[in-house]
Amino acid sequence: MLFVSLRDLQWRLRRFVIGVLATGLVFAIALLISGINASFQNEAKRAVRAFGADQWLVSKDSLGAFNTATPLDNGPGIAAEVARLPGVRAANPVLIFPFTVTKPSVRDLNVIGVVPNGVGAPVVTEGRGLKRQGDLVADKSAGLKIGETLRLHGIALHVVGRTSGISYNAGTPTVFVTFDDSQHLFFPGGKKGDLVREFTKGEASAIVVRGKVTRPPAELGVRTNAAILTDLRRPLKKATETISFLRFLLWIIAAGIIGSVLYLQAIERTRDFAVFKATGVSSRTLLVGITLQAILLAACAALAALAIAWALGPTMTLRIEVPPSAYLALPVVAIAVGLISSLFGLRRAVTVDPAVAFGGA
Amino acid sequence: MGSNLAIRDLVIEYSSGGYPVRPIDGLNLDADSGQLVLLLGASGCGKTTLLSVLAAILTPTSGSVRVGDTEVTKLRGASLTEYRRHTVGIVFQAFNLVPSLSALENVMVPMRAAGVGRRASKDRSAALLERVDLGHRLTHRPGGMSGGQQQRVAIARALAHDPPVILADEPTAHLDYIQVEGVLKLVRELADDGRLVVVATHDERLIPLADAVVNLTPRADTSPREPEVVRLEDHQVLFKQAERGDLVYMVEEGQIEIVRSRDDGTEERLAVIDAGNYFGELAPMFGLQRSATARALGAAVVTGYGLRDFREKFQVASPKVLADAAD
Repeated sequence: MLFVSLRDLQWRLRRFVIGVLATGLVFAIALLISGINASFQNEAKRAVRAFGADQWLVSKDSLGAFNTATPLDNGPGIAAEVARLPGVRAANPVLIFPFTVTKPSVRDLNVIGVVPNGVGAPVVTEGRGLKRQGDLVADKSAGLKIGETLRLHGIALHVVGRTSGISYNAGTPTVFVTFDDSQHLFFPGGKKGDLVREFTKGEASAIVVRGKVTRPPAELGVRTNAAILTDLRRPLKKATETISFLRFLLWIIAAGIIGSVLYLQAIERTRDFAVFKATGVSSRTLLVGITLQAILLAACAALAALAIAWALGPTMTLRIEVPPSAYLALPVVAIAVGLISSLFGLRRAVTVDPAVAFGGA
Repeated sequence: MGSNLAIRDLVIEYSSGGYPVRPIDGLNLDADSGQLVLLLGASGCGKTTLLSVLAAILTPTSGSVRVGDTEVTKLRGASLTEYRRHTVGIVFQAFNLVPSLSALENVMVPMRAAGVGRRASKDRSAALLERVDLGHRLTHRPGGMSGGQQQRVAIARALAHDPPVILADEPTAHLDYIQVEGVLKLVRELADDGRLVVVATHDERLIPLADAVVNLTPRADTSPREPEVVRLEDHQVLFKQAERGDLVYMVEEGQIEIVRSRDDGTEERLAVIDAGNYFGELAPMFGLQRSATARALGAAVVTGYGLRDFREKFQVASPKVLADAAD
């Protein structure tokens, strides 16, 4: 009896195709949203991992190094002290702060000051790492090329290397400079002997450590990479939760589209269902037919979604990282959506009175 | 084929617009295999309703319908489906073919639903369509066929399981006279093959084909008859809603109340007829059942007239024939 359902889809092919494309677009958007959400999670993980630290030392009242850091005065001095602690193989200060470039156009950057070749120094995928003041390593997402010069607050910074995939705060690109240069950028206009802030003491967001600190210096707290990651992700938590909710709403919209297509068909097929019943076709057979149509529509929509997402993904300004689990989940969700949405038509088919078949034209 | 039909005291009542309607009231009927039985009558007289009961699609209010050894009114669940599949084949009024399926596939549906294999059902469907002279239209969809061809596909579908009973609802309703000829021939052949064929129709052209005719709309009795004087006490009922009647009444003395029963058991007063006025003329004129109950309001005297006397006495004109196709 499956041929009846297939023939019906053929008969209403145009509507079926529209249903597939509309549902496919919704599925595709859901897929892309999954990719954006995953991107937010992954980029934070990559950013923390880029420091290559085992532990982080921050001021005792700070939850992390990115968002809730209370600057540590004399970072290099503290780092040297920490490096001498038992169980510590290396320790260096890092200064992490957002920076807005205004020329030639306004753009946001994450600036990280690190000690060249020290803990926290980035692994480059192109060019070389930081060696001296004036060097800058930029993530590819910043759009800077090796050899390019960036002039920030009067300091000429030369791009000597590039990293890949290091961004945070919703795709904001990251640049690495030497710890000393970061002081100039962090305190623009400051100079040696400044009464307000003696910047050469070396303000640091954290001390990044290789090894294990068992007894940190007074006023400092030890944070794991996981704690740092949580701190980094926190500002985007509501955004990611909202995105997840939107994705859920999109599944419902998809179910609504499939449901309305099938319900409309069920209304149009009322006489057919009545005739089927009057000629001995069981309700169960009708249910299987409608469910098959729903699953077929949803499965075709899932395939269309893959194509649409593949085409739309590169056009997004945000990095899209659709997790493999999302691709695997798509057909499962699609079938679930199809089954749920088929309920709209199922009720119609089950409740139709075979006596309707006796009505006139 | 064991398709003897026995209907006993059949009553079918349903609700329509808030009022109980009883199109079939105490019907008895016997028919045998090989007979073509016509259920003849005007629209609304209960032909299709009766077919629905025979097809086990509608449960009657009371009475018995027996086809062979099967008491149709007692069927439930799987046995009901089995009966619809194997005992009766239905030819619907508006063909009711599935527009997305070809002629062949439309005939295959009942067989596939009953678990007959694809190849077997395809072969039998092709043979059935061949039998109704549509062997050359197997792959055509209903939309591409004439009304007569569609009706023949519908007949082939009804024969899918070679049922002993064929029920046909207004088989000539949507056909022109050329198409009617072929369909009538086919319907007659179905009975000649030993089936019981029950046809509901208002088309009197089918009468010569039939072995038996059940007239569900009695003709108006226009034979002369003596006026009937009836004396009624207060609240005495003259006639009841849903009864058949062939008299028109004139109120001589007192008043007559006309009331209609509702579904919920309450009554609605339609009119109070005073002396010198008549009522109850529609049922005998059109062969309808009484649509309301008439009873006395206080003591009353009425005179009942046959239709002819009524027309003469009250000068109600019969329709004039303007033209006759035979002329």
